[in-house]
Amino acid sequence: MKITFVKKILANGEPCAKCADVEARLRTGNYLSRIDETQVADERDPESDGMRTAARLGVERAPFFVVENDGGEVVYTVFFKFLREVLEAPVSNSAEASEILRDNPDLDLI
Amino acid sequence: MTAQRISQNDSHGVSSHGVDSHGRADEQAEEQSIAVSLDASPQQVLEDALSSFDADKIAISFSGAEDIVLVDMAVKLGFKPRVFCLDTGRLHAETYQFLERVRKHYDLALEILSPNGDDVAELVAEKGLFSFYEDGHNECCSVRKIAPLRNHLGKLDAWITGQREDQSPTRSDLPQDQIDKAFSSDDHTLMKFNPLARWTSSQVWAYIRQESVPYNPLHDRGFVSIGCEPCTRAIGPGEHERAGRWWWEEATAKECGLHAQNVTPLIPASGG
Ligand code: SF4
Repeated sequence: MKITFVKKILANGEPCAKCADVEARLRTGNYLSRIDETQVADERDPESDGMRTAARLGVERAPFFVVENDGGEVVYTVFFKFLREVLEAPVSNSAEASEILRDNPDLDLI
Repeated sequence: MTAQRISQNDSHGVSSHGVDSHGRADEQAEEQSIAVSLDASPQQVLEDALSSFDADKIAISFSGAEDIVLVDMAVKLGFKPRVFCLDTGRLHAETYQFLERVRKHYDLALEILSPNGDDVAELVAEKGLFSFYEDGHNECCSVRKIAPLRNHLGKLDAWITGQREDQSPTRSDLPQDQIDKAFSSDDHTLMKFNPLARWTSSQVWAYIRQESVPYNPLHDRGFVSIGCEPCTRAIGPGEHERAGRWWWEEATAKECGLHAQNVTPLIPASGG
């Protein structure tokens, strides 16, 4: 199995906040060593590794993970799904809820 | 019925951005009139939704604000719908009283959803009762709203919300029905209906007045959008209703979409 982590640099050169948060969580949980390759999707450079991977796989948001194994490639855009299913890490309900809200900001008005 | 309406919404989306700026007014007008005619009324969306699912598998989400019109419409259509409300523990006293009034007025078994006590206790022990003023509202809303909502939606096949396009910039082009990707999983598809998507706030209030619908008294005190007490304030004339919620937070860029420079964003802004 090969795991690729794609993180984003915004058009203004700043790192994407969610990517930084995801990377910090990987580090805190000692999961960074499980990541085989990290690519940067630089919005200023469509030819950057991460942008090309996103275009090839039809992914429209970052961060995301690509898991390659004998069965092909699987893309995970939901971090906690990746944590639970691929890294088999424990994930709390509130952490998952937090990611849902970040990805769907209009839910806060519910 | 439901599948038919989904394809109608798709048509609306396509025609709404198929208008060019180089004349051809008659074609434009035709496209626009098709788009308008393909939008169902809130009552039609509600009726289709409530009659397409088993009664115990679909529910209306009621926030204690002007989405009361959904409950009113459903009852007047002859349904006795499941209605749930997220009790974050931080609602205004007026909202709790209003919920009780609604329960009695419509003779409903209002389902009150509470957050997980251990999660709230952990958040409060670690960050206090007003963490949202310093850290933003994501964490508190996740514990008090999203987690219990997700838990509840896991038992349903469809839910109905009072979301409208005009409530927030992130809701422009909100479909009247959709597969709810936020809460669906590999083995569970959840439908979401937004009957009021195309209605404006004025239309909602016209309905409330015309049909003598009970409403939250906070609206009479300048509260347009009503949520939790610490995170909601009255707004002035001309202010967008979103200005009444989490007003202390900067309107920071929330972009998870991958936007090549000078290229139209592929998806609307989202958290991150
Ligand atoms: S609206 Fe405010 S009090 Fe209510 S759940 Fe969200 S952050 Fe917490």
